[in-house]
Amino acid sequence: MSNAAFKDITSIVIRLTVTCLLAGLIMGWAFILTHEGKEKNEQLRDEKVMYSILGYDKSNPAPATMAMHTIYRYVLTNGDSQSIGYLLPIGEKYGVVELDLGGQFVRQIPVDAVASKLRNEGERNSVMQQAVGNQTEIRYADSMIIVTNAGERTAYILDGKYPGFKTTIRVKMALDAQFSMLGFEVLEHEEDPGLGAEIVEKYFRGQFEGKSFEQLKSAKVIREDMPDDYRAALTGKITGKEAAEIRQKHVGDDIYALTGATISSRSVLNGNQAMVSKFHHRMTVLDEAIKAQGIQTPF
Amino acid sequence: MANELSKGQLVARGLLSQNPVFKLALSMCPAVGMSTSIKTGLMLGVAVLFVQVFSSLTISLFKNWIHPRIRIPTYTLTIATWVTVIDLVLSAAFPAAYAEMGIFIKLIVAFAIITMRLEMFACKETVSDSLFDAVGMGLGFMFGMVTIGFVRELLGSGMVFGYDLLGFKPLLFFILPCAGFFVVGLMMAFFNWIEAKYRDAREQKS
Repeated sequence: MSNAAFKDITSIVIRLTVTCLLAGLIMGWAFILTHEGKEKNEQLRDEKVMYSILGYDKSNPAPATMAMHTIYRYVLTNGDSQSIGYLLPIGEKYGVVELDLGGQFVRQIPVDAVASKLRNEGERNSVMQQAVGNQTEIRYADSMIIVTNAGERTAYILDGKYPGFKTTIRVKMALDAQFSMLGFEVLEHEEDPGLGAEIVEKYFRGQFEGKSFEQLKSAKVIREDMPDDYRAALTGKITGKEAAEIRQKHVGDDIYALTGATISSRSVLNGNQAMVSKFHHRMTVLDEAIKAQGIQTPF
Repeated sequence: MANELSKGQLVARGLLSQNPVFKLALSMCPAVGMSTSIKTGLMLGVAVLFVQVFSSLTISLFKNWIHPRIRIPTYTLTIATWVTVIDLVLSAAFPAAYAEMGIFIKLIVAFAIITMRLEMFACKETVSDSLFDAVGMGLGFMFGMVTIGFVRELLGSGMVFGYDLLGFKPLLFFILPCAGFFVVGLMMAFFNWIEAKYRDAREQKS
C-alpha cells in the first residue's frame, strides 16, 4: 500500500470516529436532559387516560375514597412445569399468589415491597425473583388495575395490544365490576390516516361503551351506515339526557364499521373481545383462589 | 466561494423558484405519504425546517474538516443526530404533538431534500448564507406540504385544519396514498403554469 493511500485511510478513520463521538455526545446530552420529562409525561398521560376512560374529568373528579390496586401477572417456569404468579396487594403489603395452569392454588408467598417500588420494572422483577426462588424462571406478562371505591370493587383497567390492519394497536380499557365495557382508549396505532386511524375517534370507540360482557362477546362488525341519531349522540352533537337515551337504545347494536376501514374495525372488535374474555376467565379463577384460601386483599 | 444571491433571494428561492416539492421534486415520499391533512403536513414541515437549519449550520461550520470521500456518511450522521435531538426534545416538551407525529419524525433522517441541500449548498457556502438557504428550503417544504395537505384534506375528508367545512366526504380517494401523486402532479403543473405566465408577462413588458 502506498503511503498516500494509508494516510488517506487513517484520516478517514479518525474523522469518522470523531464525528461519531461528537454525535454520540450530543445525543447523550439531549437524552439526559429530556429523559426525566419524558417519563413524567408518559406517567401523566397514563393517569389521564385512566381517569378519562373511567369517566372522570375536571368537572367530575374521582371520589377521594377511590383507590387503585395493581396486579402484575408473571409466567413462572420451573423445569417442565409452568404456572402463573400474581403479584398482588395482600393486607398492607404485597404478596405472590401462585396458581397452576388449571387454576388450582399452589402457594402464597409474602413479599416485602410497596406499590410505588413495584412500578419500576427492574425492581419488580428482582422482588418477584426473590420470592419464587432462583430455580424458577420468571417472565412478566401484563398488569391490571382493580379500582375500588371505599373497599367496594368498581372497575378494572387493563392494558393490551392486538394486531391491527398494519401493525399492533395498543389500548387501555376499563371494565366495570360486572365486566361490561366502560370504554377504551387507543394509545398507539399505525393505521392509515383518514381511514383506519379513525379508530381513535369518539364515534367509533363510543360504540363499545356500555356493552355488557355478553353483548360484546356476540357483537359483529357490520358494514351498514350508522343511524343518524346514534352518530349525533356519539359525536356530541346531541348531549345530556337525550344522548344517553339514544346510546342506551343502540347499546346492543353490532359495531358499525368505519368507512373504508372494515379490517381495522374488525381488528379492534376482535382484539377487545379477546382481551375481555381472557381477563374475565383469569379474574374469575384468581377470585376463586383468593376466596378459597381466605387471602386478605384490599379489593 | 460566495454566491451572488442576497439573503432574501436565498429564502425566496427555496419557497418558489426552487421549491423542494414542486420544483426540485425531492422528498416525494413524505409529500405523498404524510400530506393527508394540513395539520400533519404543517407539523412535519416544522420538524424538517428545524432539522434542515441545524444540519446546514453544522455542516457549513465544519466544512473544512470534512474529508471529501466521506461526505455522505458525515451528512447522514449529522442529520440523524439532529433528528434524534428534536425527537427527544419534542417528546419531553410537547407530548401532545409528539403523540401524533412521533412516527414521522424519525423518518426525516432519510429525506432527500436535507442531504441534497448539504451537498449542494452548505458544504461550499458561508455559514450565514447556509442558514438562509436552509430556512428557505425548510419553509418551501412546509409550504408544499401544507398546500397538498389542504387539497387532500378538503377533497378527501371535507375538512380544513380539522374543522368540518363541507359536512360530507367528497372523494375518499384523495386520502389514499396514490392520490398524493395526482395532487402533487397537478400542483406542479399549476405552479409551472403560473411561472410561465409570469415570465411571459415580464417579457412583454421589456
